[in-house]
Amino acid sequence: MLRVGDVVTAYGQLEALKGVSVAAESGKITCLLGPNGAGKTTLMMTVTGLLKPKRGSIAFEGQELVGLSPSEIVARGVALVPENRLVFPDMSVRENLEAGAYLRRKPAEIAADLDRMFERFPRLKERAGQSAGTLSGGEQQMLAVARALMSRPRLLLMDEPSLGLAPLIVEEIFRIVAELNRDGTSIFLVEQNAHMALKVAHHFYLIEQGRVTFSGSPGQLAEDEVIQRAYLGSKRG
Amino acid sequence: MDFYLALLQVIGIHALIGLSAYVVILTGQVSLAQAGFFAIGAYVAGMLTVLAGWHLIPALLAAGLVAGAVAFLVGFPALRVKGLMLVVATTAFGEAVRLFFFNFDYQVAKGGVRVGPLGGEGFKQIRFFPENGYTTLDVLVFIWVVVGVVMALLWWMDRSRAGAVLRAVGEDELAAQAMGIDLTAVKVAAMTAGGVIAGFGGAIYAHYTTHIEHFNFGIVLATFAIAYPILGGLSTAFGTVVAVLFIQGLLIEGLRFLGDWRNLLFGALIVLAMNLRPHGLLDAATTLRLRRLFGRGGAGRDA
Amino acid sequence: MLDLIQNTIDGVMIGGAYALLALGFTLTFGVMRRLNLAFGAIVLCGLYAGAAAHQALGWGLLGSIAATLAVAVAAGLYVERLCFRALAESASIAAMVSSFAIWMQLEEIAALLMPRRTYAYPALSEARPWEWAGLSLRPDQLAMAAVALGAMAALGWTLRRTRFGLAARAVATAPLAARLAGIEPARIGSAMFLLACGLGGLAGALIAAVDSQVTIKFGMWAMLKGLVAMTLGGIGSIPGAVIGGLALGVIESNAQWYLGAEWRDIVAYGLLFAVLYWRRGRERPWTNS
Repeated sequence: MLRVGDVVTAYGQLEALKGVSVAAESGKITCLLGPNGAGKTTLMMTVTGLLKPKRGSIAFEGQELVGLSPSEIVARGVALVPENRLVFPDMSVRENLEAGAYLRRKPAEIAADLDRMFERFPRLKERAGQSAGTLSGGEQQMLAVARALMSRPRLLLMDEPSLGLAPLIVEEIFRIVAELNRDGTSIFLVEQNAHMALKVAHHFYLIEQGRVTFSGSPGQLAEDEVIQRAYLGSKRG
Repeated sequence: MDFYLALLQVIGIHALIGLSAYVVILTGQVSLAQAGFFAIGAYVAGMLTVLAGWHLIPALLAAGLVAGAVAFLVGFPALRVKGLMLVVATTAFGEAVRLFFFNFDYQVAKGGVRVGPLGGEGFKQIRFFPENGYTTLDVLVFIWVVVGVVMALLWWMDRSRAGAVLRAVGEDELAAQAMGIDLTAVKVAAMTAGGVIAGFGGAIYAHYTTHIEHFNFGIVLATFAIAYPILGGLSTAFGTVVAVLFIQGLLIEGLRFLGDWRNLLFGALIVLAMNLRPHGLLDAATTLRLRRLFGRGGAGRDA
Repeated sequence: MLDLIQNTIDGVMIGGAYALLALGFTLTFGVMRRLNLAFGAIVLCGLYAGAAAHQALGWGLLGSIAATLAVAVAAGLYVERLCFRALAESASIAAMVSSFAIWMQLEEIAALLMPRRTYAYPALSEARPWEWAGLSLRPDQLAMAAVALGAMAALGWTLRRTRFGLAARAVATAPLAARLAGIEPARIGSAMFLLACGLGGLAGALIAAVDSQVTIKFGMWAMLKGLVAMTLGGIGSIPGAVIGGLALGVIESNAQWYLGAEWRDIVAYGLLFAVLYWRRGRERPWTNS
């Protein structure tokens, strides 16, 4: 579904991604695990068109994404739930969701999806008129997920959805991730929280210092080692 | 010949107001108050030579002192805000100063004539230069000696710790604070220094034109003041002087043959320059290249 | 007491137009984080076009206002393309300096094409003031305030109820997230810039129609009033721009009455300093909108 081939992305002279190749299969949950600064967020921003890669290709359902604007990429069916959630703090929950459907033009379908989101996330329904900045961290994360879903993506990207959330909330977020996937959404998520991610992933990669260092299914590598490398990177520096 | 002398005089005066903005911009602050300090310098020096009969040099120093003191006082409240807020606050200050002089009357009789500032009529007969027999060339030399002294001081400051501190604040306030730099002190110091330099500029301007009016000191002048260092680039004070030469010499005088329509091209060329060189004509990379060219690469500070 | 009420009424009337000028700055600043120094000159070009249509073609009030709005938006397009679109995101000071250069340029064009200092603008209303219990109310000023209020209501509706408004608010509060939702900040910014120029043109037209004239100084005047009103209300806040505009109008008319004309602007600037000092406001675009 998504094929990232040998992508190099740099900030000035500094290469954050040094030739990364990963793939996300249709209908599956794919995870990319790695420590801070390994290039996880850079990869997400490159796939969504916020950053331009120096070289490499990114194909989504056979179509090249490199060179397209973020807006065109959303229109093709890829949506990102950004790191730190980034809700629109001064807009109401309902308006946040409407903004997520910005590129869609049929009001009736948008309204139906809005109802579906409120069904899936009852907490958001309770707070529909409240401004998003007043929500708790977990609620904001749910709002960010729901907002991304409002664009009807076929592939949902998630950048560290567990960041800064309490363990119970993290469990709830991952339960939602599994649910969404069961309902047919393909998911590609980057995480540091290897323990939770391995529970839901069908396939996972390890990324360290801008390079993919492992690819396989959960169980192929001892969880302790994954956790170790996801938090700290491997010893070889 | 006289035309070029007069042009060089204008360039010298504008260099001073540009340099006054340069010091402030180094700390990351965009101030539109410089025309106000310039006005204060002009009126103070004019009153001292005309009404009190002082020599120009002490009057010039006093003008710098008063303008610097006002800048110091304004600096404290104004520098609590930054960005657009500071732009608006300093614009308001500059306009308040202009309005003050618009309403300011202080005339005394001297030799049967009443002299001194007279509100909207302005302040006429600031005739220190002609009365003391200065030729155009003498005035030009006087102006450029002051410019030279200010440039030398700025150059020395830029190479000392003080310059590094100013730039540190301009580049990243949080990091500067973490290094133990007192942000308010640095910003107020820069504002004060800018006030002193603008005061010198105003003092010279008053005696150069002999007749000042409130509308000489409006937002247009204030914006020119910040346009010079930004167009020139912030890596050295020379950039500011280059920008004054570019704007006053090349664009305004050089395009005079176009007659009334020159401002159209003037605007277009500044926009073009800003688009091609968003970090100024003499940006850090160019400065470094020039240094290498003159065989001083690596000797001085890098960047 | 009667004087105070009368001054306050007069102040609210002109304050409506100030509020539109302040909104012009706030809208641009909210989505672009930039200061457009050519704003007053853009308004001036519009007003001169309106005055020219009135003088040369004999157009009436509505025609002149339409000409003013059209030319203000066209001039805005010119400034946006030249100063704000091409320059990279980081170069906000370069954009400001560029817009300063264009300010000079536009004012020069206006002065060259129409060299007299003053031109007639069609009057908003020539009806006599209404008198009531010692208070007087000028119908033209009332009309100005009413139109300004209507424009603000329309703006509020646009921001709250339309797809464009939703996108603009998204860009103003979280630009990165807006891009991830498929919104293109550059496009929204351009559209908002032109809308701001249109509002500025409308404010200028109302003021010129009350004065029945426009002078070359109007551009500078409009820019100062807009900046001061915006800052009084708190930079970036949309309701703040409205409140700031009204407050500026009321303060000015009272200061002029009680202290004299020469104090009018000085009092306003003094108050501005006080507000900046105590509120120590941060630039938080469009919060509480």
